[in-house]
Amino acid sequence: MINRITIESKEKAEFYQQMVKVHGSPLLILDCDQLVKQVNALSSALPGVSLFYAIKSLPDASAIQTLDKLGVGFDIASSGEIELLRSQGGRARQTIHTHPIKRDEDIRDALRFGCTTFVIDNVWELEKFVEYRHRVGLLVRVSFPNPDIAIDLSRKFGCKPDEVSLLIKKAESLGLHVKGLSFHAGSQCADSGNHVYAIEQCTKIIDEVYQSSGKLLSVLDIGGGFPVEYMQSVMDIESFCKPVRKALEALPEHIQIIAEPGRFLSASAMVSVSRVMGKARRGEATWYYLDDGVYGSFSGQIFDHVQYPLTIFSDSKQTENAVLAGPTCDSIDVIAENINMPPLAIGDIVVGKQMGAYTSASSTQFNLFDKAKIVAINQVVTQDNKVIQI
Amino acid sequence: MNTYTETLYDSYGQEFAVDKVYFENKTDHQHLIIFENAKFGRVMALDGIIQTTEADEFIYHEMLTHVPLMAHGNVKRVLIVGGGDGGMLREVSKHSSVEHITQVEIDLQVVDMCKEFLPSHSAGAYDDPRVNIVIDDGANFVRECADKFDVIISDSTDPIGPGDVLFTSDFYENCKNCLTDEGVLVTQNGVAFMQLDEVTTTAKRLQPYFSDQTFYTAAVPTYIGGVMSFAWASNNKNLRSVSVETIQKRFDEAKINCRYYNPAIHMASFALPQYIISALEAD
Repeated sequence: MINRITIESKEKAEFYQQMVKVHGSPLLILDCDQLVKQVNALSSALPGVSLFYAIKSLPDASAIQTLDKLGVGFDIASSGEIELLRSQGGRARQTIHTHPIKRDEDIRDALRFGCTTFVIDNVWELEKFVEYRHRVGLLVRVSFPNPDIAIDLSRKFGCKPDEVSLLIKKAESLGLHVKGLSFHAGSQCADSGNHVYAIEQCTKIIDEVYQSSGKLLSVLDIGGGFPVEYMQSVMDIESFCKPVRKALEALPEHIQIIAEPGRFLSASAMVSVSRVMGKARRGEATWYYLDDGVYGSFSGQIFDHVQYPLTIFSDSKQTENAVLAGPTCDSIDVIAENINMPPLAIGDIVVGKQMGAYTSASSTQFNLFDKAKIVAINQVVTQDNKVIQI
Repeated sequence: MNTYTETLYDSYGQEFAVDKVYFENKTDHQHLIIFENAKFGRVMALDGIIQTTEADEFIYHEMLTHVPLMAHGNVKRVLIVGGGDGGMLREVSKHSSVEHITQVEIDLQVVDMCKEFLPSHSAGAYDDPRVNIVIDDGANFVRECADKFDVIISDSTDPIGPGDVLFTSDFYENCKNCLTDEGVLVTQNGVAFMQLDEVTTTAKRLQPYFSDQTFYTAAVPTYIGGVMSFAWASNNKNLRSVSVETIQKRFDEAKINCRYYNPAIHMASFALPQYIISALEAD
């Protein structure tokens, strides 16, 4: 277990104070350099695997521009994500629509954008594509439940492995082209056991489909699930991917392998900066009311089951029992409690680390508090060709 | 080097080198781009699909215009649905015998933009005094139109997006009501090899309203995948049995310069490949 609160000297707060002075608070600072580093780390751990960034984890223009320049593709799931991608010039040919359940207008929006790869996991969904059968290539999402993790992505979506060949037959009879399989081993996986199992099963399915019908599948989408460190240390990406690489070796050579990392790319690239709006002494604890909370950037504490490492800045040796709460009127809006830390003054800064994935993405405007503004730093070039200086 | 990749199909496509972007609009839930390509000149693409290029547009526009007009022989009034780039208007206005042209375009901005960035498409045809430009949904216009036309040309985008209402039974029925008894409706109907069911679907939807329904074809290089099909629908069977000599005579009298169309092409374009005939028979 990593300490929830890190205490750093007051002078270390200067950068954040400067940022808040310019941009106000609450603030989210996106470091595009870190995005690049994460792409490089995952690419070296999974050579030959094409990456499609899951926009849902952090639907941000600067993040998209940065990843697009690196040649990363995009995993989209809604028309809103398509609009964002379109506005940032994302290449449609490098886009896959991964939502297993879609309305007709969602399919049309994606096609009009230029995305022609879609995911299905049942016959009703398959039938929605009959009208567009000349234009699309489909992936069948297969479910491999992972009971060991907090976020099981195989419960809500995905067909059973033994349903795949029937779905493919049905697709063929409707004139639809299934070009491969996809799965989601889970999110924030502790190890890659379920990935390996899923790859092995998909390898079998691909072979069985070919043996029984001559149908050639050419794509395997291994989803995401690559872990990042929050309050607990996790396997490093190289160790995590080593068994995955080995499992992928058993696939026929012609199979193109793709992955949909979201959290792994975005989580460590963003920090939150909030300020103490007010404080109160209640019972044994000092309550600090920050201008960001679980209805805002810390929404991942509710939806994503994650607690974020926090940093405060103080030169005091004295500590006391404290509660860090968010700004809204709801009593659930508490970021951390029962923590020992030096006293803070009103206006002091609290920084949240690893705040890129599923934070801003799921934040609300409850009480009509504004969402934290995202400011990108270290972005090589913005859309109007200006370099952002810090 | 910048490139533009068409995204019409998942497993097949064409790519263009982009020498210069003249216009790009990513708003209004669509992506419109006009760029320069060394082989095709100015290229316009909408939502990932090539709409028209300066180099090969003449094939498409000549065939949708001169085939029905020459077959009819006495066209006074023409309705163009869509065709915002002005290429169809340019071809129709070449016919001095035509007295009136109505063009219904859903988006005035398309017309203005094409005048500016694809000027050789309309080549001044919008200034022709015979032309009446109506900004309206084409499906809506034919539903409410009380006028009659000798020829209706449907120059639509593909069935996904704003053009989809121009492929419905309702639209075809309303077109029939706007046609003179001797008149003919022609429509852009996609590349049959790639989208064979567009042909069979259109045939099924047209046949209840027209006693003579078929397709004719021409190969347009940037509508990739084989010949493009044009739907032909009329209640006057004679239009298709006009002899090549008569077509030649009318063509000579019209004094129109063409780069693709000629009377031999006119006659030959109604000969369909067997895969289209078989699909139509099977349906």
